[in-house]
Amino acid sequence: MSSEVSQNLEQDAVLRASIDRSLRHPVMFFLTSGAAWLAVSIILGMISSAKVHSPDFLDSCGWLTYGRTQAAHINALIYGWGFQAAFGVIIWLLSRLSRQECRAAGLILAAGHVWNLGVFVGILGILAGFGTGMPWMEFPSFCWPVMLLSYFAIMVWSLVQFKVRPEGHVYISQWYLMAAMIWFPWVFITANVLLHVIPGNPVMAAGINAWYKSSLLFLFFTPVALGTAFYLVPKVSGRPIHSYSLAQLGFWSLAVIMPWAGMQKLTGAPIPYFLPYLGATATILFFIPALTAAVSILRTAIADPEIASHSPTLRFTMAGIVGLVVMAVAAVFLNIPGKTLELSQFSMSGYGFEILALYGFFSFVMFGAIYFIVPRITRREWLSRRLIKWHFFLSTYGVSLIALVAIFGGLQQGIGQEAFDQPWSEASQRAFPYAVLITFIWFFIMLSNIFFFMHLTVMWLRLGRRSTHPTLLVSDHHGSPHGEDGDIDNAGSMTASAH
Amino acid sequence: MSSPNSHSKPDLDETINVTEAHGRVTSESAACEREKRLADSGRESVPLWVITACGVVLLIAGGVLGNAGTLLSYDSTFRKDYVRGLAPGGAETGPEAKIALVAFSAKGSKIYSAKCNGCHGSDGKGDGVNYPSLAGSSFVIEENQKFAMIILNGIQGPISNGKTYGAGIMPAQGAGMTPEDLAGVMTYVRNSFGNSTGDVVSVEMAKNAIDLSASREKAGQSVTADEIRSAHSTKLPGEEMLPDTMVNPANLTLVK
Repeated sequence: MSSEVSQNLEQDAVLRASIDRSLRHPVMFFLTSGAAWLAVSIILGMISSAKVHSPDFLDSCGWLTYGRTQAAHINALIYGWGFQAAFGVIIWLLSRLSRQECRAAGLILAAGHVWNLGVFVGILGILAGFGTGMPWMEFPSFCWPVMLLSYFAIMVWSLVQFKVRPEGHVYISQWYLMAAMIWFPWVFITANVLLHVIPGNPVMAAGINAWYKSSLLFLFFTPVALGTAFYLVPKVSGRPIHSYSLAQLGFWSLAVIMPWAGMQKLTGAPIPYFLPYLGATATILFFIPALTAAVSILRTAIADPEIASHSPTLRFTMAGIVGLVVMAVAAVFLNIPGKTLELSQFSMSGYGFEILALYGFFSFVMFGAIYFIVPRITRREWLSRRLIKWHFFLSTYGVSLIALVAIFGGLQQGIGQEAFDQPWSEASQRAFPYAVLITFIWFFIMLSNIFFFMHLTVMWLRLGRRSTHPTLLVSDHHGSPHGEDGDIDNAGSMTASAH
Repeated sequence: MSSPNSHSKPDLDETINVTEAHGRVTSESAACEREKRLADSGRESVPLWVITACGVVLLIAGGVLGNAGTLLSYDSTFRKDYVRGLAPGGAETGPEAKIALVAFSAKGSKIYSAKCNGCHGSDGKGDGVNYPSLAGSSFVIEENQKFAMIILNGIQGPISNGKTYGAGIMPAQGAGMTPEDLAGVMTYVRNSFGNSTGDVVSVEMAKNAIDLSASREKAGQSVTADEIRSAHSTKLPGEEMLPDTMVNPANLTLVK
């Protein structure tokens, strides 16, 4: 190794360390408070699911009725967990990819508190009965400008970093993440202005609302997770993306197809009737960007099966990408007008699909990213591989079962709803056993995320292992699988300011 | 990588803390080791099965879009034949059936508003000077033929309580009244304003009342209290209808 290369490597390491250090506080804040919101959301999800099969449960409590807990559950999942995990991961990844230290950590942290306040007030507003009743936009209407402003305050620095980056190739992750950062305000402003500021025809408002839901899934959460996976998998496995042209095809097909999706939820409503069919077509076509991205990511990851099974990051990311493939197949299967669309339009299937997308795909990739990022910015290693394993297995089995049960239970419920000459209660009876199962499974997912939240909090408090060896999921070992413990912070004056 | 001080200490000045310096080298090389450097992008071609799978999905999506009618046509808001046909074995059953007393009274209250309200008032109490009260009037609540004759022909002179109100005449209301209208308004008045005979004047009875009224000796003139008492103190002929029979509220026919 020539001295020039080794000097380059050292400069590289110093730069990475300074980027990580500059982002430590905002990233840890987003990830930890996101994990806390995830736990809150799951508890609310259990309560609302219990109400589907046992309406008497907590019936003396007005603010815990189904209409409020279900809305609070899904909004806490999206804006509390999903967005904050995305913020933490995006600002770190784009700093690393643009090779720029973050110079606005304090402002991002402050804006993050404002965002959290917005979510907190919004959830309280829903529980107190001030929800708007628009799916995924239930927060009282004064919340959205606050959230939008804090979004800009959090995200604009990554755009600045991109602008002043060193010349060169723009990696596929940057394409995905930058696109998501720009698409979200477009979708969010359009929907909120058209629904809250200049409300028009109420039927079309329902259509805009359905488009908003779909766009949030396909134009924010999907590109964020894909951009993250395209970074994590080559980084951990040490191999280049299997087929870069396939990855680019995935990005551009996502950008061209997905803005059309969403209105299939209004099939049969008195809106121009090509719109629902166009929405169904676009949602079915989600298969193409999903499959192309998934193939290039998975082929890269499984090139070395040992790393794939030992690295927590790779395991979670691969599980998330498998979730994406299942989601893509479900998107084809659930959106065929005249066959399955009617059955999924008003039943649990829609919920199953959303949980599959938000948890089975997006959250798993975020978990993978968190297991990758947190040791680097706290300079501590994860304490316990058992906690990671429990988190992985309970979450994987839990979300697979919920998606399976809700999607197929929802189809059964849909068949009951379609039999319009039968009493409505028969449709509910068909859904009953599935709803009981969903409540039961949420309990295990909650358990897994309590492990995760505890583990993350311990890391935030810098109580992780002091070691130069990452925590890997290996079990056949004598002594510690991670080598001898050493104190990486005693490495001299250069890193002393990491405290 | 073993303990920092075990072997190969760098040969350095004494002013440098060797342990610290070596520790730094160790941690940095560990950090470098964890950061993989990738110079190139994968150049594998797109696998055939991916192209095939995407092609199949494109066909399905094309089929869906083919059913979408005229694209970007904002005028057609309903798909042709969208409204669902009848379920197999299902037949048009009309509006939901109601019990006769409710259905007849509902129909009668509309007729009352149109024809009677002006004089007898919305509470049926009249004004006590020009227009008598319908509440508790024996001509209203006794045998239903009496009430039918007054509605169809009007009445002149004193009424059931012997008093004469205003000009002493109520004009005939029978013009244009169908048997259903008459049955409805009679049922309504006999069960409202404090009256509660609890029975229904059937459509058949009302039809017979119209026939009877036309075949009176003094057809075309108002009845008098004496004529009511002498000639019409009987129940109207025709089949009775029990008040809790289920009927179609639109045309007051029986629902089987």
